[in-house]
Amino acid sequence: MISKLLLALLTVTLAGTAAAQVKVEDAIKFRQSGYGFMAWNMGRIKMNVEGGQYNKEEVIKAANAIQAIANSGMGALYVPGSDKGKGWDETRAKPAIFTDKENVGKVAMAFNKEANEMAKVAATGDAAAVGAQLGKLGGTCKGCHDDYKAKK
Amino acid sequence: MNNQRIRLWDLPTRLFHWLLVLAVLAAVVSGQLGGSLIDLHGKIGLAIVGLIAFRLVWGFAGSTYSRFAQFFPTPAKIRVYLKGEWRGLGHNPLGGLSVFSLIFLLTVQVTSGLFSNDDIAFVGPLFDLIDKSLSDRLSGIHHLVSNVLIALVVLHVIAVAFHGHFKKDNLVKPMLTGWKEGVSGEPASGGGIIALVVALVIAGLAVYGASGAWLPEPPPAAVETPSW
Repeated sequence: MISKLLLALLTVTLAGTAAAQVKVEDAIKFRQSGYGFMAWNMGRIKMNVEGGQYNKEEVIKAANAIQAIANSGMGALYVPGSDKGKGWDETRAKPAIFTDKENVGKVAMAFNKEANEMAKVAATGDAAAVGAQLGKLGGTCKGCHDDYKAKK
Repeated sequence: MNNQRIRLWDLPTRLFHWLLVLAVLAAVVSGQLGGSLIDLHGKIGLAIVGLIAFRLVWGFAGSTYSRFAQFFPTPAKIRVYLKGEWRGLGHNPLGGLSVFSLIFLLTVQVTSGLFSNDDIAFVGPLFDLIDKSLSDRLSGIHHLVSNVLIALVVLHVIAVAFHGHFKKDNLVKPMLTGWKEGVSGEPASGGGIIALVVALVIAGLAVYGASGAWLPEPPPAAVETPSW
């Protein structure tokens, strides 16, 4: 009897775990939020590099935010079926993301690497180096957008 | 073959042509590579705005063979040309079609570019005038048209090579020197200094307008950043 109850409990728990996988709509929302938030921070860094008034602390905050999101394992948000659907907006993720796994991993890791480097460079407070690294980092964003983000 | 030659392309037209070649090459390369070069890409775009604006004025105020009316490709003219019966100077009807297509597409390209964004850290100088979703659409058009333009430029170069190789008609040399050898006809006239100044002023105004320098300054970035 008790073992039957335990089994039932286990089944419910497992089912619960499976159900806890992010829903497609939420997954797309989280993705869009993550990229949007990074865009804000990219813009902050750019403003500091170009604005003539370089604020080291601001740039460190922004770079750390990008680094944290880059290393958060956002790949988990590309749940099956989320190549279509609406989060905050219609997703622009191309179906190829779900099939070209190897290459997607490559461009994603290139981005992570440059995001980590960005945080390191930001800590030095060297505006010129930050500007150069921002270019490299932006290049890795483009590396994915070109192939895996649908144009409107 | 005779030894005559005529003045065909005036200096401003030739300068326009070769500067446009350089600018478009630089725009394609910087646009494809992206990264730090995207800011340069924006500046090159402004230069192309100036060049196109200049050419549009020069198409009315320039010298004989640079004027749009002189080489406007009507279907009738194209038919005559395809039958091999066209005898004229300057842009032939198909060449004229190519010129108008290139100018039109470049206009679409720079205009969409001015309002575009790359979802990374770059926005065109007039991005603030429209909303993000329209900017996304224009960015999509910008990408699409870039491919069409590259194809047209390739076609243009192939056509010029074809004329040089098979029809023994060197089109590059007159575009460099201004002189067309071995033909007789009315030499180019018009497009004097006043026309040039007017065209340059309008080109300058176009660049100023496109640069967004006249837009109200955005409010200064928060001087006091809250600690949270």
